Amino acid sequence: MSVFRSATRVRSMSRIRSIFAAPAAVLMIATLIIPLVIVAAYSTLTRGAYGGVELPWTLENYQRLIDPLYGAIFVRSFWIAGVSTLLCIALGFPLALFIARAGSRKNLYLSLVVLPFWTSFLIRTYAWMFLLRDTGLINSVLQAAGVIHQPLPMLYNDGAVILGLVYGYLPFAVLPLYATLERLDKSLFEAAADLGATPGSALLRVTIPLSAPGIRAAAILVFVPCLGTYLTSDLLGGSKTILLGNLVQNQFTTARDWPFGAAISILLLAIAMVLLLAARRSGEELL
Amino acid sequence: MNRRVFLTAVAGAACSRGLPRLNVYNWSDYVAPDTISNFEREFGVRVRYGTFESNQEMLAKVLSGNSGWDVVFPSADFVEPMRAMGLLQPVQHGWLPNLTSLDASFARPPWDPALQWSVPYMHGVTGIAYQKSVHPAPTAWADLWDERLRGRITMLDDPTEVLGACLKKLGHSLNATDPDILRQAQREAIRQRRLLRAYLNAEVRDQLVAGDVAAAQAWAVTAGQAIAAAPERLAFAFPSEGFARFADTMAILRESRRSELAHRFLNYLLRPEVAVSIVQATQTATANAAAHRLLPAALRDNPVLYPPPEVLARGEWFEPLSSAAQELRDRLWTEIKSS
Amino acid sequence: MKRALPLYALCVYGFLHVPLVILGIFSFNASRFTVWQGFSLRWYQAALSDRDLLESSVNSLIIAAVSTVLATAIGTLAAYALWKGSSSAGPRPSRALSVSGNWLSASFYLSLVTPEIVTGVSLLAFFQWIFRFLNLRLGMHTVILAHIAFSVAYVVIVVMARLRTFDKTLEEAALDLGATEWSAFQQVTLPYLGPAIAAAAMLAFTVSIDDYVITSLVAGVDSQTLPMVIYALARRGVNPMLNAVSTLIVVALGAMVLLSERLRSA
Repeated sequence: MSVFRSATRVRSMSRIRSIFAAPAAVLMIATLIIPLVIVAAYSTLTRGAYGGVELPWTLENYQRLIDPLYGAIFVRSFWIAGVSTLLCIALGFPLALFIARAGSRKNLYLSLVVLPFWTSFLIRTYAWMFLLRDTGLINSVLQAAGVIHQPLPMLYNDGAVILGLVYGYLPFAVLPLYATLERLDKSLFEAAADLGATPGSALLRVTIPLSAPGIRAAAILVFVPCLGTYLTSDLLGGSKTILLGNLVQNQFTTARDWPFGAAISILLLAIAMVLLLAARRSGEELL
Repeated sequence: MNRRVFLTAVAGAACSRGLPRLNVYNWSDYVAPDTISNFEREFGVRVRYGTFESNQEMLAKVLSGNSGWDVVFPSADFVEPMRAMGLLQPVQHGWLPNLTSLDASFARPPWDPALQWSVPYMHGVTGIAYQKSVHPAPTAWADLWDERLRGRITMLDDPTEVLGACLKKLGHSLNATDPDILRQAQREAIRQRRLLRAYLNAEVRDQLVAGDVAAAQAWAVTAGQAIAAAPERLAFAFPSEGFARFADTMAILRESRRSELAHRFLNYLLRPEVAVSIVQATQTATANAAAHRLLPAALRDNPVLYPPPEVLARGEWFEPLSSAAQELRDRLWTEIKSS
Repeated sequence: MKRALPLYALCVYGFLHVPLVILGIFSFNASRFTVWQGFSLRWYQAALSDRDLLESSVNSLIIAAVSTVLATAIGTLAAYALWKGSSSAGPRPSRALSVSGNWLSASFYLSLVTPEIVTGVSLLAFFQWIFRFLNLRLGMHTVILAHIAFSVAYVVIVVMARLRTFDKTLEEAALDLGATEWSAFQQVTLPYLGPAIAAAAMLAFTVSIDDYVITSLVAGVDSQTLPMVIYALARRGVNPMLNAVSTLIVVALGAMVLLSERLRSA
């Protein structure tokens, strides 16, 4: 009787699973798989006279990518994303530590970190435009105080972009770091103290190594979006600082070179996937 | 407050759902604040008014052939390519009685001699807008390569304009198609990049007024608006090596089903008093002779908008490029921006 | 070190919040320049009577509401289906289903990992390709579809996280007591998932309201959203009206977040 029940249960479970998964499956196929296949196809086609795509098939777009002329964009994108990631982790780690040790006020402190994240990314980027301009607040205050006589050019350079990225993605780093730190066994620190370690060396030799999974997760969560960033480099970098994300947008709009833009997109996607797979070896599951 | 205004706006948005629609896609800051609303009131329609900052941006949107826009404002050198791509529908002169107000010099323009596809709207030149505090004052394109102005120079975010300035600096025509000459121009542009603050179109106006930018390659209309906002600090120069003359036109997209309403809108803009109010608000040079006669002296004799003939002689019109030439420039531009 | 850490935390919190506070303060500035010249509400008046801003806000809200409801529904069901198929719940499913489960969860990963700009251009290419066969154009529907597409993966993560803490034997007990699969889900699992579904919905809503990159690529003539209008204003330089709009949005979203946090812990 129970075997029979089991068998029907498995069948009806499969049915309900299929029904439940179906809408998502259709959605993902239509809006993710097929579009990406189309982009991959476009990346091997040729640019139409004024835009669009046409035959013949070609690998020329990928060859253009290897051209050293675009190498600078790659290098710069990686560099900016890398620096932003390091800064996010370096700045976020002590904060995550503070929250993890905060006892009863943990949720409050966590909310305070997450709150800016909930507000508009665009607006937060604009806030830095407001502060950094030549006639913005920082320059006005410094000039009024007599510290400088000419406004400092703080906007429209790589530094402004990095600042904007760190500001935008710091919560992305703090959350996984906090999650890992919070789960650490407190008794390990007591043991370290008992064995004569100073708080500093306990930090270096116990806490940080143990939070490696969190650091890895934070690194991925920050690096990937920074690599493909568009808004921050557009508003804070001026259209001089062109990164990979801007290049793609440019090709699909004003430059009307869809195949080339598609090739860059595929490359960006490939890099992101490789990084994610590399980070997954820790066995942690997001899904 | 303006609770009243707020409620009216929302109510307006709600009620107007039933009215006939017209979708107009124009350059930013190219009409007076009340131009559109007056048209809506007089003809009982609802206009969706969108703006763009460059021809390329506009073309990218309408290229698909089903963008939803009815009336667009391409620059003169884009009219022929757009026609060739089948994007425009013919302009019916019978529906445009106000066409006679046009200036004689624009009645048979080189880019559209029979005015079959477009109607001239505004015109101007590309030159250098600068802070008077810069000494010596810039007079040539070469002055935008000045090391002392590093970080405070902007150029237009437009391949034809930037390469055009470089070509003029080297003594060539704006419409050069020789790849070697274009590569030379590209090298100049790449050299200049380190000195640039940004590539900006009309957005540079606020930065000129605010003092962030010392010298900018700018359209006369943008410069005119900036100077009007800060006349004691800003000035405009017509580069000695030569400069680009541009004209913006009104055109109707082939995809538009509202042909008659679109023509009414074009006719409305051709009215002298409407053109006058636009010019007063936007500091542009109009192609409408009847309007020009009605302008106040300050605008009519404005040297930035209506330079004397000997200055204008140094100007050169942009000609439409073959698709191969266009592609070459687009590619050079991508390389300039990525360098 | 004991004292350094809280001090450091204070600095970082300042870094995170002060720019927005300053934006808020200057939204009340009577002058349009960065020189304080008295308190004024004129920028708020300007913002609230701007037709573009109002229309795009309405559009944004409609898009966010529709896409949140659909994305949350689709994502919750998908998360449940994936969870059932994983080893943490129920007897082993057939091979066919575990493979399909794998590719579905792989596609969610892909969705999360794909840079926004790539998602945007791929959807644009897809829509333009489809429009050759159907007589459609870009509009509200394409934006809503795009928003659902990128929100679902977030919903799945949040709901999955909660499902992992769910005791599967509760469902099995319901089944043993004679409930159907569906009512077991509806009356046992779903209530447990309630807080997670609410959190996922809020996440989907915020992500939709704030999106610029993808929306700007797939929006049509009549579907301008608030971020698009804000971006156009921000590009032209600093605009005090933008300070007012920003403050309004930050306060609205912040209040929403705090309220839902309060509800969640209640």
